[in-house]
Amino acid sequence: MKSVVIYSTNSCMYCRMAKDFFRENKVEYTEKDVYLDEKARNEMVKMTGQSGVPVIKIGDEVIIGFDKATIKELLGL
Amino acid sequence: MDNIYDTIIVGFGPAGFAAALYAGRFAMNTLVVGKEFGGYAAKAGTIHNYPGVKNADGYELSKTMKEQAEEFGAKFYDGEVLSIEKKDELFLVSTKDKKSFTAKTIILATGSERRKMGLPRESELENRGIHYCVTCDGPIYVGKDIAVVGGGNAGVSAALLASEYAKKVYLIVKGDSLTAEPISTEKIKIMRDKIEILYKTEIKEFLGADSLSGVVLNKDFNGSNKLKIDGLFVEIGSLPVNKLAKDIGVFLDDHGYARTDFSMKTNIAGAYVAGDLCNAFGSFKQNITAAASGAVAANSAYYYLRSLNK
Repeated sequence: MKSVVIYSTNSCMYCRMAKDFFRENKVEYTEKDVYLDEKARNEMVKMTGQSGVPVIKIGDEVIIGFDKATIKELLGL
Repeated sequence: MDNIYDTIIVGFGPAGFAAALYAGRFAMNTLVVGKEFGGYAAKAGTIHNYPGVKNADGYELSKTMKEQAEEFGAKFYDGEVLSIEKKDELFLVSTKDKKSFTAKTIILATGSERRKMGLPRESELENRGIHYCVTCDGPIYVGKDIAVVGGGNAGVSAALLASEYAKKVYLIVKGDSLTAEPISTEKIKIMRDKIEILYKTEIKEFLGADSLSGVVLNKDFNGSNKLKIDGLFVEIGSLPVNKLAKDIGVFLDDHGYARTDFSMKTNIAGAYVAGDLCNAFGSFKQNITAAASGAVAANSAYYYLRSLNK
């Protein structure tokens, strides 16, 4: 299984939807809270050139927003 | 022919969920199709004015509404409806992922979308300093200076929420007063050290190359018409998502809202509307009014089907 990292904020509903989706599909993920973690915040902005959350990294692919269709495709779900 | 639903509800917000709950309890064969789970309710953060649920988490409240409708038999399909056609007294619903569904009645609860400012470079700078969801992206601006545009309920709530993260919040208001609920305007007044309200002020231009660095105002503030900010949150109202209503010939008013009466029926037999798509409660658009109109729409669809079966 590819590694999954989500850059999120606690209050963001798209982030919560994404995490619910991962849990429902038994996908293990690492969460980086960009509110609490300045390093993760800078990393996300540097990686995507933007500051909207969530940003989801699956393997080497970076997805901005909760794009379920792309996520499903990348994870083979 | 494949399964014909008694009703298809389009929309995953409180209007659609309430319609699904009632339709389910009426034992109608019900399908709900939508793409944006929860609508504005899910993005609202804490909801203080939904009766029966104190300090409701908008996302959790939306999940509960959906689960409640599922318990009474409503089925849900996660997909974007691209078109609806009425043919031989049936409604044919087609989705982006090429699925199609058929129903005897339709309840459109497609909601509304955020009104944008309409200034040059707004799209280019979206998520590069310009945002439309404080609940989502507000925490990114911890310790920064930001602005919120809009003096209504959404703008004032956004400013209050953003003040939990930002160092300084400028609330940019076109008029000479706030139009939000008094409970919010009173809160904002006592936070004047952190939230500064700029009345009779409009943004004329966005500054910054790759990301927003400031805005040009229509008048001077602290000796300059340039206001340096790291982020801007736009909360200036919404526009009805009426494409599907138009597709089937539902009459719209001058502002694009679906015309309806107290039963939520439209000029098209078997087609009902609910929530922010219509003006059933005038400009007063709340979770409770959306849910109420969804319940009424389901009730009307149910009695319409009964009248057909006589």
